[in-house]
Amino acid sequence: MIPDFSGQALNNYLAEHAAIILMTLDVDGRIQQANRFTHNLVGKDVTGRLLSEVIVDFTGSFDLQNALQQEDEQHLFNVNSHSGLPQTFYFRFMEQNGKILAVGELNHLETEELRRNLVQLNNEFSNLNRELQKKNIELTKLNELKNHFLGMAAHDLRNPLGAIRNLSEFLLEEARDSLSDEYIQFLELIHTSSNFMLSLLDQLLDIARIEAGKLELDFQSTDLISLIKSVVDINKILAEKKKIQIRLEHFETIPYVELDSMKIEQVMHNLLSNAIKFSPEGNLIKVHVFLSGEHVTVAVTDKGPGIPEEDIQKLYQPFTKTSVKTPEGEKSTGLGLAIVHKIILGHMGKIWVESKVDQGTTFFFSLPVKAESKA
Amino acid sequence: MEIVRTMEFDTDLVQGYYLFKIRPVTTMITSEIYNNYLQNLLKGNRQECTKIVKDLLDRDVSIYDLYLDLFQTSLYEVGYLWETNRISVATEHMATTITESVLSLAYPRIFAAQHVGRKAVVSCLVNEYHQIGGKMVADIFELNGWDGYFLGANTPVEDLLDIVRDKQPEIVALSMSVYFNMDYLHNVLQRLESELPGQQVIVGGQAFRWGGSDIQDKYSRVQYISSIKELEKMLQQYE
Repeated sequence: MIPDFSGQALNNYLAEHAAIILMTLDVDGRIQQANRFTHNLVGKDVTGRLLSEVIVDFTGSFDLQNALQQEDEQHLFNVNSHSGLPQTFYFRFMEQNGKILAVGELNHLETEELRRNLVQLNNEFSNLNRELQKKNIELTKLNELKNHFLGMAAHDLRNPLGAIRNLSEFLLEEARDSLSDEYIQFLELIHTSSNFMLSLLDQLLDIARIEAGKLELDFQSTDLISLIKSVVDINKILAEKKKIQIRLEHFETIPYVELDSMKIEQVMHNLLSNAIKFSPEGNLIKVHVFLSGEHVTVAVTDKGPGIPEEDIQKLYQPFTKTSVKTPEGEKSTGLGLAIVHKIILGHMGKIWVESKVDQGTTFFFSLPVKAESKA
Repeated sequence: MEIVRTMEFDTDLVQGYYLFKIRPVTTMITSEIYNNYLQNLLKGNRQECTKIVKDLLDRDVSIYDLYLDLFQTSLYEVGYLWETNRISVATEHMATTITESVLSLAYPRIFAAQHVGRKAVVSCLVNEYHQIGGKMVADIFELNGWDGYFLGANTPVEDLLDIVRDKQPEIVALSMSVYFNMDYLHNVLQRLESELPGQQVIVGGQAFRWGGSDIQDKYSRVQYISSIKELEKMLQQYE
């Protein structure tokens, strides 16, 4: 219908169609009538509701009777729209013909400014996201380069170092009688140092392979107890040098577990050799295997110096060493636990630690009895 | 909202006003995929647009096809619908925002390109809030192994000059979508010419539909680039 653009007809048309809230209220503030814009904004059920239900008066100090005394004063209110997103209107209240009229206007300049700021913020956010993704890809490339370099260096160093280790061992065995004590000491130092460097290189190769996404797991249904027993037996020889005992306790029945036996042996070996390293002479190390729901859990407990709270977070980061010192100055590469962590995650398992300074540490890892590995 | 297309736009038919044809030219981005994407873009359905783009990327779509035949064509069409009052500015902004979001899905491939050691600084001018064209240009630089530094919308000339001094790029690319900003562009070009003589500059963007492509006759080191394909050709000269 084309409105008659004169007098009352025009007023009626504008009241109905303009983007402005127009409501009549009774003395209690209950909405009696509302224009089409208000219906669209707030909802069809706007009439009959109290004004206080439609607007948000954060201060709680709004008083309708006071507002009617000051018709020129604007009141800033958020209106609860039916879309759930509040909109801000500047309200005036006036009394006419025994009815209270509430008029709410938008501030278009403010809305436009808000829209402009939103566009700008979105642009900035999207540009930051672009930069972030770019940096992320650059870092990934650098990490690949580092792993490649590590792998190459470790591989090329391994053979000559192996020769140094083996030949020093040979000399210690075969030529001990013909050498002075000083020379034997030198040879022992060469042997110990080359041994340490070889184990460091092996771990570097492991880390490089794992970080390059080449952790290949060969899952087989495995008797975990037998596996752990064999690793414990090997480590008992090392432990005996420090008069340390290793005791294995386990549930009578532990089901076969889907795992990569070589890798879990590596995990157990790392945890046990750490426990031996950090235990004072003559102590006891306990290995406990038990079932917890659908998981089998292994705990390795030592009576070592314990790990301070602040060091626990960085335990699994490669090349990170804690502030804890081994009682007899044994060396650590800072890679063992990082490898352990990656292997356990590759099995979709969990690893955690409980430790108290001066009382000891327990490392736990749990594996799902039925593997759902991502490897 | 269903936009029913009543005509096909063709560069020749509309005197170069529209630099596009709403006819995807690749086999992978079929008319069906394009139309589905456009309708979802206009409805503000980000999830569905994301799904379509992810699917194309999974099928190893060419980044050029994605940029030209999906993103650029749809944005031009959205722009046309806005200019002819068939969609609101809110819908146009929503479509742009969604496009910015789905652009990022291609970044792992774009930024993976082998770097060639060349740099470009890409920027929009002061008062230019339409940044997506500039961003796509920066991405094309990246795709060609350049470092494409993108400064974003509404960049003050002083900031632009500072970054150009700092990065010392081979190319400065200026994107302009609003013709009324032509004076700003001249101002920036004059500043670049006087303060950084010898700096190679390229200009482009939707603003040039209305004229001004002869800008390169007025400055010795400025070149007007009309399309992403032309940019690609220009970059090949650096190889």
